[in-house]
Amino acid sequence: MISDATYTVMFYGLSATVILLALLAVNARQLLRAALGLMGMLALSAGLYVMLRAEFLAGVQILVYVGGIVVLIVFAIMLTRSSELLEDHPAKLTRILGATFSIMFMLIACYALGTTKFTESESTQAVRDEVRDIGLALLDRGANGYLLPFEAISLLLLVAVIGGTVVARKTPPKHQPFTTGGDLRGETVAHPPLVQDDEHVVESKS
Amino acid sequence: MSSVVTSLLVIVFVLFSLLTTASLLIWLERRLLALWQDRYGPNRVGPFGLGQVLADMIKIFFKEDWTPPFADRPVFVIAPTFIVITALMSFAVVPFSPSILVSDIDIGVLFFLAMSSLGVYSVALAGWASNNKYALLGALRASAQMLAYEVFMGLSLMGVVAITGSFSMQAIVKAQENIWFIVLQPIGFVIFMIAGIAETHRIPFDLPEAESELVAGFHSEYSGMKFGMFFVGEYIGITLISALLVTLFMGGWHGPFLPPVLWFFIKVFFFICGFILLRASLPRMRYDQLMAFGWKLMLPLSLLNLMATGAVILWSS
Repeated sequence: MISDATYTVMFYGLSATVILLALLAVNARQLLRAALGLMGMLALSAGLYVMLRAEFLAGVQILVYVGGIVVLIVFAIMLTRSSELLEDHPAKLTRILGATFSIMFMLIACYALGTTKFTESESTQAVRDEVRDIGLALLDRGANGYLLPFEAISLLLLVAVIGGTVVARKTPPKHQPFTTGGDLRGETVAHPPLVQDDEHVVESKS
Repeated sequence: MSSVVTSLLVIVFVLFSLLTTASLLIWLERRLLALWQDRYGPNRVGPFGLGQVLADMIKIFFKEDWTPPFADRPVFVIAPTFIVITALMSFAVVPFSPSILVSDIDIGVLFFLAMSSLGVYSVALAGWASNNKYALLGALRASAQMLAYEVFMGLSLMGVVAITGSFSMQAIVKAQENIWFIVLQPIGFVIFMIAGIAETHRIPFDLPEAESELVAGFHSEYSGMKFGMFFVGEYIGITLISALLVTLFMGGWHGPFLPPVLWFFIKVFFFICGFILLRASLPRMRYDQLMAFGWKLMLPLSLLNLMATGAVILWSS
């Protein structure tokens, strides 16, 4: 339907934009712009997945990475004070270490890419029923199945959810019977005077 | 070649009808609200006040397009585009009739969910770039609200997907030939509708722009056509949620006697009026109520619904 030339142009256009946005994500001085670059990069990588006819993967990429993870990053940036995030001048040692590791990583990546043999895939028909295949593979108990990692990841996520709730949950200190804490059921509790509130904050830190 | 022309025609038809509907909806909403609240509404310009649509458009195009000097300019400019683009993109997978649809991709429902998850950027970036405390507060509220309600919006649709066995919207409509999914998935329908209202942040979930406490929330600093894009985006969003309610739960274009497209539009119109009626009659929720309602009631309910649906499908097969 679409000619090979169009595909080539699309591929190089997408790839170039992805690289540019990735550079923006790394180099932007403002944290929010970096997050925006990351978001654009991840969204356009979904475009590359579509070109590989992995539409399901592309959809999940946008849903999870762009619509979930980067939104959380943006959310965290909004909760911090923006003036502190405008400029940062890393120390000399940090810069040298960073440069060393980046160059080493690039060398390894170049070596890996150079020694890998890329073969053209046989047909494009094989990926027709990919959603079904992914679903079956995830719940397959056989040698090629992913049931164990799937369950392990669900357990990990459950632990993360419970851990997050515990950390976020306010527990009233034992020696103070009437404090602002304990508002656990979403009910409004009559707030004590502000002084007592401050004491509670200080004491819980110490 | 003819397929290219047909799909171009369909795209033009969809875009044209959406953008005109969005501006007409503003008029419709003001008139209906006035009717239900026992006052007049815009009735001066042209027959039934219909000229008001045109007058508003001219006004908003000629208004000064002001960017505050303290704003983060590039982010401030691109923020309103997200809401319009993502809402319009979602319509690419909505089947208007057996033949009128832009694209029948295998992952239709997933595509819609992905696009609606991008809508939150518009609000978050607008609030952040405005560099204004009310805007930021509105954006924070909106992000938390949209993230929370997105979770079970997706879950509420999985029942429909499981029954059909496909993510494709066209397949879902075809599966409803004998029985509409509102009968099989009443809980999913209600949860999706509530999540849809929260996603478009309309009353009773319009906390991000609560005018009595936050001026106008995330779009306080916006004026001219940039504000217009938020406004149009909201109305396209309402149309989108109505269209999806019809497609996924109310049999899509199925219906007796009349042509399918007409049935589709009648059903969508019904839901849009329903949303306006909700706005006319409900007060705004408190923020902790909104969050508790979402996480403690809607999420467990949608999980239970999905489990029950799965159990019934397994048992009957």
